[in-house]
Amino acid sequence: MSLVTGPGRASISASSLPTELQLSIAAHVKYIQTLDKRKDELEYHLTEHLRINGIYWGLCALHLLGHPEALDRDQVVDFVLSCQHENGGFGAAPGHDAHLLYTVSAVQVLALCDAMETLDERGKGDRSSLPGSTSSESGILGVGRYLAGLQNRRTGTFAGDEWGEEDTRFLYAGMLALSLLNKLHLVDVDLAVDHIISCANFDGGYGASPGAESHAMQVLVCLAALSVLGRLDAVSDKEKLGVWLSERQVDGGGLNGRPEKLEDVCYSWWVAASLSIIGKLHWIDEEKLTRYILECQDPEQGGIADRPGDMVDVFHTHFGIAGLSLLGYPDLVQVDAA
Amino acid sequence: MASHGIPRSSTTEPKTEQARLKEQEQIQEYTALVDLIDAKIAERQYTREVLDLTSKLLKKNPENYTIWNVRRRLLIHGLFSKQSDSSLPLTESQSFSPGATTTTSSANLSSSATTSWASKETLPNRASPIPGKNGTTHDLIKGDLDFIFPLMIEYPKCYWIWNYRLWLLDQAIDRLEVDVARELWSRELALVGKMLNRDSRNFHGWAYRRGVISQLESSKLHGRSMVESEFGYTTKMVKAHLSNFSAWHYRSKLIPRLLTERAASDLERYQFLNNEFELITNAIYADAYPYAQSVWFYYQFLMSTIVDEVGHAIITPNLTDEDRIEYATKQLVNLRDMLDGAEDCKWIYNALLEYTLALSRMQNRQPLEVDKEECRSWLAELRKLDPLRSGRWDDVEKSLKWLDVDSRFAPESGGPIEL
Repeated sequence: MSLVTGPGRASISASSLPTELQLSIAAHVKYIQTLDKRKDELEYHLTEHLRINGIYWGLCALHLLGHPEALDRDQVVDFVLSCQHENGGFGAAPGHDAHLLYTVSAVQVLALCDAMETLDERGKGDRSSLPGSTSSESGILGVGRYLAGLQNRRTGTFAGDEWGEEDTRFLYAGMLALSLLNKLHLVDVDLAVDHIISCANFDGGYGASPGAESHAMQVLVCLAALSVLGRLDAVSDKEKLGVWLSERQVDGGGLNGRPEKLEDVCYSWWVAASLSIIGKLHWIDEEKLTRYILECQDPEQGGIADRPGDMVDVFHTHFGIAGLSLLGYPDLVQVDAA
Repeated sequence: MASHGIPRSSTTEPKTEQARLKEQEQIQEYTALVDLIDAKIAERQYTREVLDLTSKLLKKNPENYTIWNVRRRLLIHGLFSKQSDSSLPLTESQSFSPGATTTTSSANLSSSATTSWASKETLPNRASPIPGKNGTTHDLIKGDLDFIFPLMIEYPKCYWIWNYRLWLLDQAIDRLEVDVARELWSRELALVGKMLNRDSRNFHGWAYRRGVISQLESSKLHGRSMVESEFGYTTKMVKAHLSNFSAWHYRSKLIPRLLTERAASDLERYQFLNNEFELITNAIYADAYPYAQSVWFYYQFLMSTIVDEVGHAIITPNLTDEDRIEYATKQLVNLRDMLDGAEDCKWIYNALLEYTLALSRMQNRQPLEVDKEECRSWLAELRKLDPLRSGRWDDVEKSLKWLDVDSRFAPESGGPIEL
């Protein structure tokens, strides 16, 4: 799967659109299917560091579009497993170092492919049984241990890899994967919740670390982590947060990530999913947002861009379709905001 | 990540045969370089030659995180421990010049627009080794910091570059004498200042600044508090651009520490709050800013220190309830004044509505008849001015049972509405 942009591009302007905008499902399926056949483009090679994320974005979009079979399942599973290191973590592609983000994408893809058993059999990492445990060796445990080892046991947050960068993005992603692996008992959940609380700001939002400015993506990862951990009660002021989130919608219908920044399709997911988690999705104009996302698609060649007129890519295709699903767009599989 | 803001024009033309061949050549060159580095690392060749190869690759593609890690290992396991060859310059960083910037086709930014500026950033004493036992390590770290800088200018949103830079500076703390390490860290403040002058909202830049400050203040670097100068920095930044919410946010985070470290008396705290209100009110009155949400979120922050329950009283914790009520009342008068000439500004109606209700809560009473009447008219204005968020206004209305507005009168009628 590649992150190569184009060839499609989003519609040029709203004025040239038909009155009845439709999601071009067939074109998007085709677009995702052909992403891995573009090895003659330099960008395919320059985006290798996002290969496994690309597979997740593409596959998740296909599931939402109701075409999970459009990619060869066994091929996908084999590729994902080929990215695993001896320590249990996954790299972006063979030859790339292990990192939490790619490990989480790998777990998500394997979960979508219903391949957890395969991971348990073929997975690497520390598979030895826990002292006193009667369960057999497990590849799932190997991945769980790699992820749990990235939690900072002093503050509760997570590092991305052995080099130590910490971010609430990693906390959420790690918790999500551990929950998919059913291995949340390997980490300190209470400490992680305390850390999220310490990242809250006066505007109701959350940042990447204590003291950091509120950002819609960081808001979602904090809310989604609390949701996965069953601790949404830790959100102190949902009204204030809802106000801040609803003010992300700009006149054109799209959403931005911070006050007075440009709108972008990926925030359709981060803002709308956050609003949905706190039960306030109706605080924005859902119809206008739906229209905005549809304006960002290339109806012929498939794919969705960040803004109307820009080049499409699989990242925005995924977040655009996930946003539409959240908004209840017909014919899409319903997505879970967390 | 992915393609943000790449206009469609970039690949609408079908590729010519010549362009196609050139692209194949570039792919070949790139993958061959990756393979070469892989092979050398597999042989544990932790040398300057391989370091230079990684520099070449990272200039083509700074998103290749694995290569940044390779670079870390080259330094830790090889070059940092070789103390004898301090006279050898780090050739890649030394030879870097604007003209040598690669023409990576994936680059979203025009390199020509940035490099001329970057070339002026040559920092003094780049090549002269600091005398003493740490010469080599110091040269390597400093050389690497200089190598990265143009990449940061060209790719200001690449997470890996910022992380690598912080890691490198942490190495300086671990491996160099304190005053030498401190000098390297101090340079970063100027650097990030320049980055934020180029893009005053860069998320990475603000995070980096907080990281640098926290190290410069730490005992590891024999530091002391910089809260006063940082507070001054936010003043400068918001005055340059009133919509800079990143700076307002940082300011809100600095204030509690600032007042504690000043050992501010109750009176000084009260005056401080007055000054902040004056600053934000002047900002709101400036051209076009009543409509800018950044200033209103900061206004909301200041008001929360007055109207919210204890815990939010971070500026003036010892104000009596009477003082707080008086303060809120005074602000409501100011808000009404702001409406003059800005009758289409939803933020003012929103604030009037919110703080009128807050005031009645502070006074432990139901809203007065006149309050109710006004709240209804402000809500009607909000509906009219801000239809995108009509669902929110519905909820406001529902939460205020006594505000039941007869739909026949709202929102067009505008006038007072009977209960």
